Amino acid sequence: MNTVPQIIFPVAIPLIAAFLLPIAGRCHAGFGRIFGRAAVLVTFLASALLAWQVAGAGPASSAMGGFKAPLGIVFYADNLAMAFVLLLNIGVWLFWPSGDEDRSGPYTLLLTLLGGGAGLVLSGDLFNIFVFYEIVAVASYGLAASGGSAAGFGASLRYLLLSALGSSLALMGIALVYAAAGTLNLADLALLAPDVLRGPPGAAAFLLLLIGFGVKAELFPVNSWVPEIYASAPVRVTSLLAGIVSKLALIVILRFLVLVFPMPSAYGLLLTLGILGVLAGELAAYRARDLNSTFAWSSIAQLGVIAIAFSIPGPAGIAAGIALALHHAVVKPAFFFIADKWRGDVKLLSGGARTSPLVAALFVLLSLSIIGIPPLPGFWAKYLLLDAAFSSSPAYWLAAAVVLAGAVVEGAYLFRAAGFFYGGPQKGRGAALFMPGELVPAFVLGAVLLVAMFAIAPLGAYITSMAVQAADVPAIAAQILLGGN
Amino acid sequence: MSLLLRRRFFWEEIDLMSLLDILLLVAALLASGLFVLGRGSFAGWLATVVYGLMLAVLAIAGLALDSGVAFIPSAMSFEILGRNLGWRLDGLGWFFALLTVGAAFFASWYGSGEWGRKQKRMGLQHALLALNVLAMLLLLSSGDLLSLFIGWELVSWAAFAIMTQGGGPAVAAAYRYMIYALAGAMAVFAAIMLVQNVTGGLGFADLQTAISAMSTAQVWVLFILFAAGFGVKMALMPFHLWQAPAYSETPGASSAFLNAVSARMGLFALILVLVKLTGLEALGSLAIPFTFMSAKSALMWVAAITMVVPTFIALMQTDARMLLTWHGIGQGGYMLLGVLVGTSLGTAGGLMHVFNYATYQAALFLAVTAVIHRAGTSDLDELGGLITRMPWTYVTLLMGIIGLAGLPPMNGFVSKWMIYKSLLDGGQPLLLIMAFAATLGTILSVYKLIHNIFLGQLRREHQHLKEAPVSMVLPMLILAGIGFVTGFMPGLALNITDIAQRAIGGDMLPHHLGGVTLATGSLNMLWVVGVLIGAIGAGALIFYLLGNRRYEVHQFDNYAGGHFLSADIRYHFSHEFYPGLARVIGPWYRGSIVRAEQGIGILVNVAGDLWQAVFRVAYTPLYMLLVVVLGLVFTGSWGIVP
Amino acid sequence: MMSYVADFIFMPLIAFVTGLGLVLMARRVRAKIERRVGPPVLQPIYDIVKLYAKKTQISHGIMHDLSIMMLLGGFITAEIFLPVPGFDGLAGEGDLITLIYIMMVPMLGLALGVGSCANPNGSIGISRALTAMLAYDIPFIIAVTGACMAYGTTNLIEIVQIQQAGGPASWGAATMPLLAFGGLLAVHGMMGKEPFEIYIAPAEIATGPMVEMSGKYMGALFIMQCFQLYTIGVIYTTLFLGGGENWPFFLAKVFAVVFISVAVTNVYGRFKTDTMIRWMWKWPTGIALAGLALVMAN
Repeated sequence: MNTVPQIIFPVAIPLIAAFLLPIAGRCHAGFGRIFGRAAVLVTFLASALLAWQVAGAGPASSAMGGFKAPLGIVFYADNLAMAFVLLLNIGVWLFWPSGDEDRSGPYTLLLTLLGGGAGLVLSGDLFNIFVFYEIVAVASYGLAASGGSAAGFGASLRYLLLSALGSSLALMGIALVYAAAGTLNLADLALLAPDVLRGPPGAAAFLLLLIGFGVKAELFPVNSWVPEIYASAPVRVTSLLAGIVSKLALIVILRFLVLVFPMPSAYGLLLTLGILGVLAGELAAYRARDLNSTFAWSSIAQLGVIAIAFSIPGPAGIAAGIALALHHAVVKPAFFFIADKWRGDVKLLSGGARTSPLVAALFVLLSLSIIGIPPLPGFWAKYLLLDAAFSSSPAYWLAAAVVLAGAVVEGAYLFRAAGFFYGGPQKGRGAALFMPGELVPAFVLGAVLLVAMFAIAPLGAYITSMAVQAADVPAIAAQILLGGN
Repeated sequence: MSLLLRRRFFWEEIDLMSLLDILLLVAALLASGLFVLGRGSFAGWLATVVYGLMLAVLAIAGLALDSGVAFIPSAMSFEILGRNLGWRLDGLGWFFALLTVGAAFFASWYGSGEWGRKQKRMGLQHALLALNVLAMLLLLSSGDLLSLFIGWELVSWAAFAIMTQGGGPAVAAAYRYMIYALAGAMAVFAAIMLVQNVTGGLGFADLQTAISAMSTAQVWVLFILFAAGFGVKMALMPFHLWQAPAYSETPGASSAFLNAVSARMGLFALILVLVKLTGLEALGSLAIPFTFMSAKSALMWVAAITMVVPTFIALMQTDARMLLTWHGIGQGGYMLLGVLVGTSLGTAGGLMHVFNYATYQAALFLAVTAVIHRAGTSDLDELGGLITRMPWTYVTLLMGIIGLAGLPPMNGFVSKWMIYKSLLDGGQPLLLIMAFAATLGTILSVYKLIHNIFLGQLRREHQHLKEAPVSMVLPMLILAGIGFVTGFMPGLALNITDIAQRAIGGDMLPHHLGGVTLATGSLNMLWVVGVLIGAIGAGALIFYLLGNRRYEVHQFDNYAGGHFLSADIRYHFSHEFYPGLARVIGPWYRGSIVRAEQGIGILVNVAGDLWQAVFRVAYTPLYMLLVVVLGLVFTGSWGIVP
Repeated sequence: MMSYVADFIFMPLIAFVTGLGLVLMARRVRAKIERRVGPPVLQPIYDIVKLYAKKTQISHGIMHDLSIMMLLGGFITAEIFLPVPGFDGLAGEGDLITLIYIMMVPMLGLALGVGSCANPNGSIGISRALTAMLAYDIPFIIAVTGACMAYGTTNLIEIVQIQQAGGPASWGAATMPLLAFGGLLAVHGMMGKEPFEIYIAPAEIATGPMVEMSGKYMGALFIMQCFQLYTIGVIYTTLFLGGGENWPFFLAKVFAVVFISVAVTNVYGRFKTDTMIRWMWKWPTGIALAGLALVMAN
């Protein structure tokens, strides 16, 4: 157990940089761009250092200004949180706008998102989590509209309204919790929960929090913004939102579930919404007629699968959820990059394999992995999920069956698209050729996937230890409370 | 294993790799090498030679297994997520591996010559064939349930890749296959996870432990998941719809390979999991409530229905390839039925049928491909009279159909005889009658095949066709020859199936070179074939020595109804070859399973559409409200009613 | 070894001679019913000699010739595997199932030969013949299956011994009458007698397997008919009528089986192919299945 003040860096550096960036941008347009990238790099280094420490010395925490836990602002970093902070950093770096536009807006928003996202997973306090969640939300509205199209503005306005509605529900949930327990510190809540938050009031609070945070986590049924936003936002934003930000919200939900609401009704609720999400996402994706909305819907389904995994009590479920989340974070952005090049009807892919064979091969590889074909990483993630699900109650068996059936539908729509790539008209013009250069991030992710395939054993061990750590409630509570000293 | 090898062979020092490692390594190198070589014209010949070498390695492995070695281990093993993954080749896997590599050998040989040169992207086909072989070897040598599943998926997707090579309709057929295969794989996945849940492990022994530890309901779930999952690959009814189009549209040589062995992977897995590990007694004691049936007899009936119905669907086909592939589905039923009878005779018969089927089905498909190569079509209504143009192809096809129909003197008769006999001795007269009926249907169907292609009127446009080149004729004639030799001397094939049967366990079937001697009726093919050939010789003597001199007329010299027919008039009786039968059984073809399949498709479509229509961003607040209210009720009631 | 040689020569010869007698009987019976005198005793031999000696001997290629050899060869083989009094031949080396499938070889040979004649009428005849085979073989195999289940063996020698050990009361016809009756109806179809003679269609030379068969080709078909009647009669006798204790009794039984068929055949017209299938799959099949159920119940 240790207190580490530099736990604040992953949050503070990007936020400060976000404030400074418009000023830097005003001095010189190009400088702003470089400044932003540099800030991400510094954040990444700081986070990596912290992650190293955490991995070595165990979970760390720190209270701002030395105020003790129930009053002060507490940050808590364990392997799980650091993994996702790092993921967010890498994501922001990878999906940093490549164009040479001079507006500093998107860069500022990205940095804000980076800081807010890190704060979201590192906070040890319910209210701070809410604040960071709002920061992330605001940044994502702006980013979603940054494409500049009218559709993008409309979509992000609707997204904003929905999100605001969700946030108010979440706030209501927080109020309920506060009314019942008198504290918002997660550690305190973890200790108090057995007495005050069991039963209907606690469950109601969890429900409200779930709906509120579920908006970002693409949880059923508050994910109806997903197809629209993903279709209209710039591909890098889409990749970031679908690939990483949604997982951060799920991690937060997981923390609530493990620390504050470990009761059957809460698990059941998340499970139900997860199953519905899988069904809804896969079915709708099957009927989608363009790649972009196919992936948007399938993203909903994937997050439903992760929600199912997190709803399994115990470390096995958490490990499965983390594995699925990491896998999805690698695969889905790559998919969105491919989809970005073939907007419009899926039939336009016809002959794509002849004009762009590498892209088609990448598509097939990603598809196989996300369906869960051994020995690709997606299979092992699914394996963990089924392993956890089958050792739980029969309700989870049903969930496993739904996930497996969903995989069949998934295979159907992904390989329908692959069929267009490889089949299609044998004569005449095939799909438009494009330079693989535009797809560097997608190829990088594909390579990561392949490398991960050969590192399943260490990755699995690492994820399992992460999950065990995240499920160890007394240790977490003790560490957070210790942070005040 | 290595100890025994040391004693028996002179290369005892070379013990770094087991034979299985060599096989897998060679297969992997071949597959990757062929991908690199691409269009190189010698790629096919190289592959053929390598398959030949692999056959030699397998033969040595067979000697070792025959001498009592339980299995050949592999140095390859992984530990992932706390599970050990290992590979080892036992007799059962060896038997199927032998067929796999053998089929690949002939398919690759066939594809290396003129036929391959006419194909688009033949290099890729060779590479994918090698990939299939590798995947199958991995599956066949799997040492635990997890490696079995991995191999299973690899085989499925490798087959998918090779099926798409035909382009156009082949892609659609392969897509359909992929959905079926994926659904089957997910069922298998669920099943092995169920096993792991009970025992905490995924070894083969864990399955046995799990079955004894599970409740009856759980064992049923496990059985259905395994049977359906593996059954998809061998196209057991009602999961059979994908197979005929998918195999038919695959380019010729690859198709012969797929036809010969690919569907048999399903049989292998079923034998391994249900017969070897679970045991037929356990299946037999798994009774279906309120009936006289058990899981075993239910599966036997499924096998019997798979035998009969696809055979009669084959009878109605108008394309040679479709006809053969539908028969392939039906023949799978015989094999499963034989194995499920469970007696030494039935198991040996079922396994021998796997071997026999591989020989004649590959020969038949290669012959039909030769016809397509020359005449450009396999439509049974657009051919005819090719016997004078392509005599060797005709001979192959004739020997192949005699085997397929299960008549003496070909090997198909022997294995079918063993299956019939085991059903009779096993007290299953109804299943036996179904097997007989399917054979009768096969005879009708294959006569139509050979008649419509080779007999009857020669078309004007086919008048100058030439026989297929040696590179095509030789492999298929050799295959047909193997079919004849193992029909004449079934003991040769039974020696091979012995190795598999020993691995499955249970009694062995005593046999001799000519067949089997049983208390209740024997079969000695040496006599049967010998007398048959002798009698045909006697028939030849009667024909040539007695009577007046015959004189031969030209193929076009013909008449009907008192008129001379010229070659311009199409009078080949080919379309709707069995009108009388069609009038009776035609209305029985309801296509219920096709409609069920369509229904599921429509259901998914409608559900998806409905979802997209209802689930719009504008309605979200409503849903939010709904979920909050319902959720509060749900959580509230959960709290009140524990 | 010598006994084998004797078997191989005498069994087909006896079959041929008896077959000639059966053909003669069929023609004589028909003549009596039609109030004709009928052919002389040696008429079948005259017919064969005439056909072999004819000047018109048209061959449609090797397959056509080969089919004639397959046709004769298949039946000669069948005779060697069929036990008769005093000769067991190779009945121990191949059982009833083998015999049934050997009998399909000449059928296939005929079909291939007719097909290679490239006459559409011949092909139509083969189409009808094979359809008819499907029709009558279903009840026949049910009867065979039932009998094998009852005897517990497919060894023909043993089947005969079992029946002879118990005398006529243990004959198949007595112990399983329904199977025997169903089998008899199927056998009637197998012999191609009215109303099941659509595929031979002797009244219309233009349509049927024989359309391109001239001279010794036709002669071979004639010989085949002798073998066919004999083989069917012997199989039925072996299965249901106790086989042969000695030659007189044995021949009497064989002739009786064929006689039943030729005696009733003349009063019928001809069924269409589909009518034949429906009838065969309804009555003989139903009766045989009922018989099978009885066998299984015991």
